[in-house]
Amino acid sequence: MGETRSDILQGTLDLMVLQTLDAMGPLHGYGIARRIEQISEDVLQLNQGTIYASLLRLQQRRWISASWGTSDNNRKAKFYAITKTGRKQLAAQAQNWERISAVMMRMLRLAQR
Amino acid sequence: MPTWLAVLASRIGGLVRAGRHDRDFDREVESHLNLLTEDYIRRGLSATEARREAILRFGGPVQIKEQQHERRSLPLVETTLQDIRYGGRALRKSPAYSLVAIATLAIGIGAGTAVFSVAGAVLLRPLPYRAPDELVRIFETNPLRRWTRNIAAPANYADWRTRNKSFTGIGAYEQFNTNGSGAGDLFLTGFGEPQALKGLGVSGNLFAVLGANPLLGRTFTEEEQWEGRSRVAVLSFGLWQSAFGGDPSIVGRTITLSGRGYDVVGVMPRTFFFPGRDVQLWIPFGYTHELVTTARRPHWLGVVARRRPGISFEQARDDMTAIARDLEKQYPDTNTQMGVHLEPLHESYASGPRTALLMLSGAVGLLFLIVCANIANLQLSRGVSRTRELAIRRALGAGRSRILRQLLTESIVLSVAGGSIGFVLAALARIVVTRYASSAIPLFAVVQTDRTVLFFALGLSLIAPLVFGIVPALRTSRSEQVSDRSETASRETGRLRDVLVATEVALSIVLAVGAVLLMRSLTYLQDVDPGFTKEHAISFTMTLPSARYADPAARYRAFADIERRLGELPGVQSVGATSTLALRGFTWTGDTTIEGRSSIDYERDTRHMSTTPGYFGAMGIRLLAGRTFEAGDTRDKPPVTVINESLARRYFRGLSDAAIVGKRLAFGRPQDNSPWVTIVGVVADEKQDGLDRPAEPTEYSSVAQRMQNPLTFVVRTTVAPEAAFAGARAQVAGVDKDLALTQTATLEDVVDGSMSDARFRTTLLAAFAGIALFLAALGIYGVLAYFVSQRGREMGIRLALGARPAALFRLVVGQGLRPVAAGAAIGLAGAVAVTTLMQSLLFGVTPVDLAAYAVATAVLAAVALAACTMPALRATRVDPLVALRED
Repeated sequence: MGETRSDILQGTLDLMVLQTLDAMGPLHGYGIARRIEQISEDVLQLNQGTIYASLLRLQQRRWISASWGTSDNNRKAKFYAITKTGRKQLAAQAQNWERISAVMMRMLRLAQR
Repeated sequence: MPTWLAVLASRIGGLVRAGRHDRDFDREVESHLNLLTEDYIRRGLSATEARREAILRFGGPVQIKEQQHERRSLPLVETTLQDIRYGGRALRKSPAYSLVAIATLAIGIGAGTAVFSVAGAVLLRPLPYRAPDELVRIFETNPLRRWTRNIAAPANYADWRTRNKSFTGIGAYEQFNTNGSGAGDLFLTGFGEPQALKGLGVSGNLFAVLGANPLLGRTFTEEEQWEGRSRVAVLSFGLWQSAFGGDPSIVGRTITLSGRGYDVVGVMPRTFFFPGRDVQLWIPFGYTHELVTTARRPHWLGVVARRRPGISFEQARDDMTAIARDLEKQYPDTNTQMGVHLEPLHESYASGPRTALLMLSGAVGLLFLIVCANIANLQLSRGVSRTRELAIRRALGAGRSRILRQLLTESIVLSVAGGSIGFVLAALARIVVTRYASSAIPLFAVVQTDRTVLFFALGLSLIAPLVFGIVPALRTSRSEQVSDRSETASRETGRLRDVLVATEVALSIVLAVGAVLLMRSLTYLQDVDPGFTKEHAISFTMTLPSARYADPAARYRAFADIERRLGELPGVQSVGATSTLALRGFTWTGDTTIEGRSSIDYERDTRHMSTTPGYFGAMGIRLLAGRTFEAGDTRDKPPVTVINESLARRYFRGLSDAAIVGKRLAFGRPQDNSPWVTIVGVVADEKQDGLDRPAEPTEYSSVAQRMQNPLTFVVRTTVAPEAAFAGARAQVAGVDKDLALTQTATLEDVVDGSMSDARFRTTLLAAFAGIALFLAALGIYGVLAYFVSQRGREMGIRLALGARPAALFRLVVGQGLRPVAAGAAIGLAGAVAVTTLMQSLLFGVTPVDLAAYAVATAVLAAVALAACTMPALRATRVDPLVALRED
């Protein structure tokens, strides 16, 4: 599995999903997608289905777990929750992300001059 | 758990539960879509519009489900599993093809696996000793005596031990007889019936050198090898189980062996053996210091040493060669030209059967290739009939590599099915061989159907499809919908099939020539005159325990008693006894001085035997001149000897047998001053080392004058063998109830047994050659049948136009025989190259024996013609009308 551009994007989405689950507690796929759109103030308009690729990947790594439950409006839905390893990963990746974005910012500012 | 492992585990899980996960995800998507739809409805859209918007927003649920399915498991594995299922179905659809292919593969893989389970056990399996690669055998050599791998003299062995710098230890064991492991009979009494056991005298350090630890108790100490300390024994696992019921308290108890008490100090583990599996217990040899430091002849020790870490085999050899050279200078009398020869222990064990096993391995290798060629052939013709099916798959979007993969998977399914049956066949063959032809397997080898053998069979099953499946798969997957019916494509396939048939023919003629050579050798061997009459005679060996029969006179009386009583049995015509029975090698050799020659002239390595007067008559050995022994040749009379023809010709060149009678010999060198012995008779040679080997110069003494123990009795009788042995047992028990008969065999068995190896390998190679020819015939038949079916229309038209059936017959047969002739030419040339390698297995024929080549070619021609006949006949019977209506 080579490192491609979509992989990097996927990685970003993974991080968003982890962060969302960490902040909001267990959510179903629809809820996660809505939440990400809201936070991004609808800058990020995803095909909501793509979220499931991310959810499967995170599950396979055992960073999140899934189980069927009932939603607020009494519908059956699959709920995802972050695991302990998931939290550790989130912390590590968030830090990494901050470092990279700080570097990016500096680079871009320097380039502007 | 590392992340990658978690992912892999999850994906493998996904493979198994694919269906459940798919349904689960369907529900999840549905619930997601419902939530989205509700959202849109709340925003004021109609139900239908909301649903459409939801699907758009979600983004192609079908694709996402598809992608999710692939991500959840291992797509490559999944499609392979699909291919396997598909392949299985395709094979079931053409059962005739599948059965033939699977049966052929089962034979090829089964034969390969069976031979591997023996050859691997003999040539490859490490010996059950610690770091077996460090162990070497040390032999003595002497060009004057034509010794290349001789056993060692005790004093030389003792000097090697003290002088070497290359070994952590040098152990030794008694090896009296060149044909066996040297173990002698010991009689266990006090535990039920007296039993003859194979016991081996060893040095105190032998077990330490081998690095073999006991299961119970201990092995020997250094000191226990000396006289007075040596009444201790270590038991083999087998003996411990059979004679002592596996009772652990046997360690520390005293058992009686041949009338002497031995303390059992240890039991070896089940896997241990030394040097052969026939040895049941070990005792220290119990020599005096004097013997070990002075005996530089004769030679009777097998020597095993362990190289020091860091010392290479070559360094060890150079070290030993230097020591031998020093000994040569120091003891010119005994050690002149006495050198050493080192061999890795395993190599020395396997040296005997190596050539035969390599030959059989090569033969099954050829057979395996023929099997592959045959199946490739089958697949090519099947590929033609499958073009429509494959064309449909292509049209539906399957790429060439996908189809290639599918075809190869099918081959693997076929091969694994055949391989599984082959493995079972090999396991059965192993049971049959170990039960009925155990003498064909060396005593040290453990032949079993274990994991290694299973992996070998599996390996063959996976290699086979690559060999037989690639070319047909490439060919079949390439064929385009349109062009596959074209003339060029079918002609190309036809040529390829001709090449395959030629290959099969070439390989099988090599096997056929090899088999015919071995069969001719065996025939020659069977026709060899062993020098005695093998019909209507039984033999058995008697060992008198030295504790109860201490002096030669007592032994002589006991043996004479037994001989007399045997003679009283009904149906017995004559009885005799010898120290070494014909075809069982020899017991000991020595130098001989001939009266009247110069004081430095003597003959080397005369074989010594002792017999009773009745022996020559009982065996039916021809007397050439003089007389054999008489009752009057007793201890107090001048010593006499009977010599064999080889000795007469070699030591008395130019003299007639009659002229030799009356001459005198001394057993020893001139300076030994041994007493003169008068030659009273010359007898014909009896074969000693094998029917294929000439007898060596041998002198016979009368047991009355020169006692030996044990003796082997020969009883010529008109009674059936079982009854004769029963009678003999009763008569022996009448003399001493604690004596047991060992090595019971009719003389026919003895002669047969000496040929068992040759017969075994001949039978196997003949079987392989037979299978190979049969497969080649199948191949020829297949190609011709295909040819006729392709050209059926043409034949029909020719017939309609007035062609004579005989001409058509010739056309088809000629078509079939073309690749056969080409293959045969190549095969015969190859056979010349290959059969020279089996020179040492041949007797009476040379590797380029013209008759053998002619016979093999004739058999092949007959088989090929038979295979051609049926398709050719079919060609002449094509109904023109039917042929024209086809298509």
